[in-house]
Amino acid sequence: MPKKPNISLPQGVKDILPEEAAKIDSAECTILAIFRQHGFRRIITPFIEYLDTLSLGLDSGLKDKVFKFIDPHTGKVVAVRPDITPQIARVVATKMFDMTLPLKLCYNESVIRLQDPRNGTYREVLQIGGEYLTRKPSRTADAEIIIVAIEILNALGFKDFKIDIGDVGFIKTIIEGLPLDASELYAIKKTIALKDVSALERILRALGKRIDSRTKRCIMAIPSLFGKDEVLKKAGGMVWQEGARDKIDHLRGVLNIIDNEGLKDYITIDLGELRGFDYYTGIIFEGFAQGIGKAILNGGRYDNLVARYGYNCSATGFAFDLENLITAMEGDL
Amino acid sequence: MRPRPARYERVMVYTAGKRDKSHNYLTIALPKGRVLEETVGLLQEIDIDCSEALGRSRRLIFEDSSKALRFMVIRSQDVPTFVEYGAADIGVAGKDVLLEQDRDLYEPLDLGIGTCRMVVAEPRELEERDNPVHWTRIRVATKYPNTTINYFQEKGIQVEIIKLYGSIEIAPLLGLSERIVDLVATGETLRKNGLIEVEEIMVITSKLICNRASLKTKPERIKEVIEGLRKSVKSGRRGSS
Repeated sequence: MPKKPNISLPQGVKDILPEEAAKIDSAECTILAIFRQHGFRRIITPFIEYLDTLSLGLDSGLKDKVFKFIDPHTGKVVAVRPDITPQIARVVATKMFDMTLPLKLCYNESVIRLQDPRNGTYREVLQIGGEYLTRKPSRTADAEIIIVAIEILNALGFKDFKIDIGDVGFIKTIIEGLPLDASELYAIKKTIALKDVSALERILRALGKRIDSRTKRCIMAIPSLFGKDEVLKKAGGMVWQEGARDKIDHLRGVLNIIDNEGLKDYITIDLGELRGFDYYTGIIFEGFAQGIGKAILNGGRYDNLVARYGYNCSATGFAFDLENLITAMEGDL
Repeated sequence: MRPRPARYERVMVYTAGKRDKSHNYLTIALPKGRVLEETVGLLQEIDIDCSEALGRSRRLIFEDSSKALRFMVIRSQDVPTFVEYGAADIGVAGKDVLLEQDRDLYEPLDLGIGTCRMVVAEPRELEERDNPVHWTRIRVATKYPNTTINYFQEKGIQVEIIKLYGSIEIAPLLGLSERIVDLVATGETLRKNGLIEVEEIMVITSKLICNRASLKTKPERIKEVIEGLRKSVKSGRRGSS
C-alpha cells in the first residue's frame, strides 16, 4: 500500500465539520435576525485590502498581527483584514457618506490574525457584529447596541450573563492632564487595567508631590469602581474633573434607557476597565457568562475612526467571536 | 467496564463541579509548595478555612459547602492557567509565574508572601573579569525563558536560552551556560555553587489573581475576599515591622 501523504493545515486554522457548522449556522441566523429586527442592514467587505489603507484604522495591537503579502500585479503590500470595524469605517466614509445618518450596519465575516496558536487562539476568527453610526455621540445608540447584545444572548439561550460597561474616557480625563511623562502614564494605565492596587500605590507614592493627594486618592479608587450601578453614584461623589463627570452622566443616561426596557439586571459597571481596541473613545463593554472564563462579546464607542478615512461621524458597535460563543453556549446549558 | 485512569477522573470531578449549577460557589486555586502554608494562614484570617490543603489527605479538590467555597490545590505554575480559563475564580500566584506566562487576569493584591528576587548570576571566576556593559550575546540557563528574553532584549543583548526545569545553579558548573536567571531568597544556593549575583531583575512576591468573568459576574463575593485580604495583609505588615 502506498504511504499516506502527510496532509496538514497551517497552525491556527481548522476545518469545521457539518455538526459544528450546523451550530454556527443556527447561531448566525438568530443573531442576524435580531440585528435585522433592529434595522441593521448587512454589509460585506473584501477579504484583502491595501495595507496602507487598512492601517489608517487599525488598532496598534493588531498592526503586528496582520497577514500581508505583495500583490504580484502592482507590487503593493496587501493585507488580510484582522478586524472588520476599520473596513466599515472606510466603506461609510468613502461610499456611504451621502446617505442619511444614522446608519445601522451588521456583518458576518472571518478575519485573520497572526497570533501565537500555542495560546489556544485561532488565527482565523469568525466575527459577527453590528455598528451604529450617528452624527454626534449618542446615548440612544450606545443603549440600543447594548440592548441588541442582550436580546441576542437571551435568544441564544444564555441564562446568566452580564454586560459589563466601562468608559475609556473616564480614566483618560482623570490622568492625562497630569504632569506625567508617557511611560508613567503607561504604567498607571497598565496597573489600573490589571486592578493591581498594590503596584498602583507604589507608583503614586514614587511620584511624591508631583500629584496632589486628592488626585492620588481618586486614582487609587478607580480599580475598585466595579459592580452594580451604585458604582456610578460612588464615582460621582469622587470625581470633580469636568470630563470625568460628563462620562458618568453619559453612562447614567445609557443605563436609564436600558432600565426602561427592564434590562438593568444584565448590566454591571466597571470604570477601571481599559481593555479593547485603542480606537475606542467612550463607552466600552464586554459580555460575560457564568462559568465561562473569557468575554463572549466585545464592543465600544469609536468617534474618530471614520474620520481617519475622511468623514466625520460618531459610531458604536460590538462583535462576537462565533466559535467562542458556541463553546460558551454549550458550557452554559 | 474498564477502570478509568485516575487523571481522567479528576477532570470529570472538575467538569461536574462546573455543571452543577452552583454558580454562587467561589473556587479558589491554592499553589502547592513554599507559599501554601502562608496562603492558608492569610485566608484563615478572613474566615476562609482551607487547612485541609495542609493535611495528608492529598485531595486535590475539597469544599466548604456551608460557605459555598471550593478549593483546589495545584502546581503553582498552573494556577494562572486555571484562573484565566475560569476553572477557578481566584488564586494565588507568584509574580515570576505571572510575568512568564503573561495571561489575561486581574492582579488586585500583592499578598506580601513568598518574597524573593529574580536575578542574573554567573560563576565567581567569570564575574571577576566580566563587565555586563560589554555583553552582546550570552547563553543563559533558566526556568523563565520569556522573562529572560524580554529583560535582555530591552538592553539590546542577544540571548540564547537553555530551558531547564530545576537545579539551574549547576548549569554553569557543567558548562551548559555561562549565566543563569533564577530566584534567590537568601543567596545561599548561589554561594554554595560558586555563583555571584550580577543583576537583579525584580523583586518577586505572591499575588492574589482573579478571573475576569468571575469579577464581573460575582463582584460582591470577589470584592469581599479582596478587601478582607487587603486589610489582613496591611495589618500583618504593620505587625511585623
